Amino acid sequence: MTSERSTGPLPDPGDHTLLQKRVDRRRALSILLGGAAIGTSAVAACAPLGATTPESKEARLLAWREYIKGNYRTMTEVERAETIARLERLAELKRGVDVTIQSTGAQPGVVFGYAFNISKCQGFRSCIEACINENNLDRRAATQYIRIFEMEDGVVDLDHADATFQHEVPAEGHFYMGTQCFQCADPPCVKVCPVGATWQEPDGITVVDYDWCIGCRYCMAACPYWARRFNWGEPEVPVAELNTNQHYLGNRARKAGVVEKCHFCIHRTRKGQLPACAEACPTGARVFGNLLDPDSEIRWVLANKRVFRLKEDLKTEPRFWYFTD
Amino acid sequence: MTRVTTALVCVALLGMSAGCRERDRAAKEESAELGTRRGEPVADVARAHSETTAIARTDTAVAPGAVATVASARVDLWRGPGDRPFDVTLRTGDPASAMSRRFGRITLRTSLRSRAADLGQYPCTSCHLGRRIVLADDRVADAHQNIKVSHPRQTGGTCATCHSADNVELLALKSGERATLDHTYRLCAQCHFSQAEAWAAGAHGKRLDGWQGRRVLMGCADCHDPHDPALEPRIPFRGPRIERTRGSGK
Ligand code: SF4
Ligand code: SF4
Repeated sequence: MTSERSTGPLPDPGDHTLLQKRVDRRRALSILLGGAAIGTSAVAACAPLGATTPESKEARLLAWREYIKGNYRTMTEVERAETIARLERLAELKRGVDVTIQSTGAQPGVVFGYAFNISKCQGFRSCIEACINENNLDRRAATQYIRIFEMEDGVVDLDHADATFQHEVPAEGHFYMGTQCFQCADPPCVKVCPVGATWQEPDGITVVDYDWCIGCRYCMAACPYWARRFNWGEPEVPVAELNTNQHYLGNRARKAGVVEKCHFCIHRTRKGQLPACAEACPTGARVFGNLLDPDSEIRWVLANKRVFRLKEDLKTEPRFWYFTD
Repeated sequence: MTRVTTALVCVALLGMSAGCRERDRAAKEESAELGTRRGEPVADVARAHSETTAIARTDTAVAPGAVATVASARVDLWRGPGDRPFDVTLRTGDPASAMSRRFGRITLRTSLRSRAADLGQYPCTSCHLGRRIVLADDRVADAHQNIKVSHPRQTGGTCATCHSADNVELLALKSGERATLDHTYRLCAQCHFSQAEAWAAGAHGKRLDGWQGRRVLMGCADCHDPHDPALEPRIPFRGPRIERTRGSGK
């Protein structure tokens, strides 16, 4: 599946051929409606009577242009800037919020890896709280990317683990283990997507283009770690709680009927910051870093601790290790 | 002499705890001057000073979203992965500088607090002035009700196991050296050496800032109460939950 990876900020010509069929599908749609420009005015003209303030008109035009845009990987830099400008303006028009959407690309020579210390985790769930807030997760559907499992000492048995514990932690005779998307090096979720809406970036983060996803949920079935979440409704995040620091492939607004998942806080980590979960953990159980840097913390853990991964026999090569002190 | 020395240390520490570089430097110069002028040995004091003043204050000039209010001390004694030096966050003397950082809607507060504000009876020299105070056990408990002394109880230690006998504001290392309260990891590492190694390497303790560039670590006493080091149990975040689908986890 390496041919599907985007190779940098500019789209790989290989991707064009790969996605040509889908691009054609969209193009056909706009031709059918008489081209983008005519289609736009048609939509504006057919708008329901009544709500025709300049703002609502502008919002409809922007929404239409958004509808006929391409897959993020096939966009040129200019097209990316345009769609970001539209999305930012739409957020302002619809919700009155001033969001910043980045399109920061992967840093060269960086592949992210994560390690989780099961001797340290106390089950506080501070990571989950930070993730919900950082990534604008749906408050109504109570979406969370991370789960913390409570298990009895002695054996890793996720079948009999409890991820819904409500008592004071750490509980006597129990240990805790967190899961999230493991950013597999050979991700089955990417292989099954029929429209190329999800792919692995050069820094190892598997991302979703929320505007290209058709919501078929194949990827959810393919992921052995139950890392993906489907939006049954439009995610609800109160304006006051919205994180306006966003990334196109990360925590920007999602819509109903699309899949989302952990993206290692792409808007933070590509700028050198730690993911919100790693930074929020009060126990230091979470180690994050660059796998290609032999001097990184994550490499120290891999070299000096006993590590294991979940369901290694499936050969998805998760980039998420567990270790003990 | 002891009294003068102690007073000087006191001045230096106070200056530092007030986060005032100028006063700190002034105090150091003053003490050096006095020491030389009188030809008296100031080795310990000088050491204490060099440790407090050699701190690279990075203060608030950090990237947006990075740790803003915490000054850092550069640690060369323990090295990070790749033999790189790293910074340890310091408590500052300003009680308003409790570290907080916003995540979307919530504000994360770590247990990093002003050391001076944190220690109810700081500066120690307000009682332990210039001479060693040895108290009966029950008197110690009286004077330091805020300290739960479970660690010394378990290990059979006394105050003087960790605190310098003639200046309680300094920590006594087994090597005979003394360290300021901002360098507790040097004391803790004497027994907890495997933790210290993992801490320096990044597998123990909380890290702030980023995975790239400057590394900032929390010191031992930022998370653990040195007198009662176990973490307190707590009620977990009770946010939204996801029920597991049938058969997942198989
Ligand atoms: S739900 Fe979306 S991302 Fe997942 S396989 Fe279907 S189209 Fe691809
Ligand atoms: S953990 Fe699941 S969603 Fe994440 S990369 Fe692997 S297969 Fe895909």
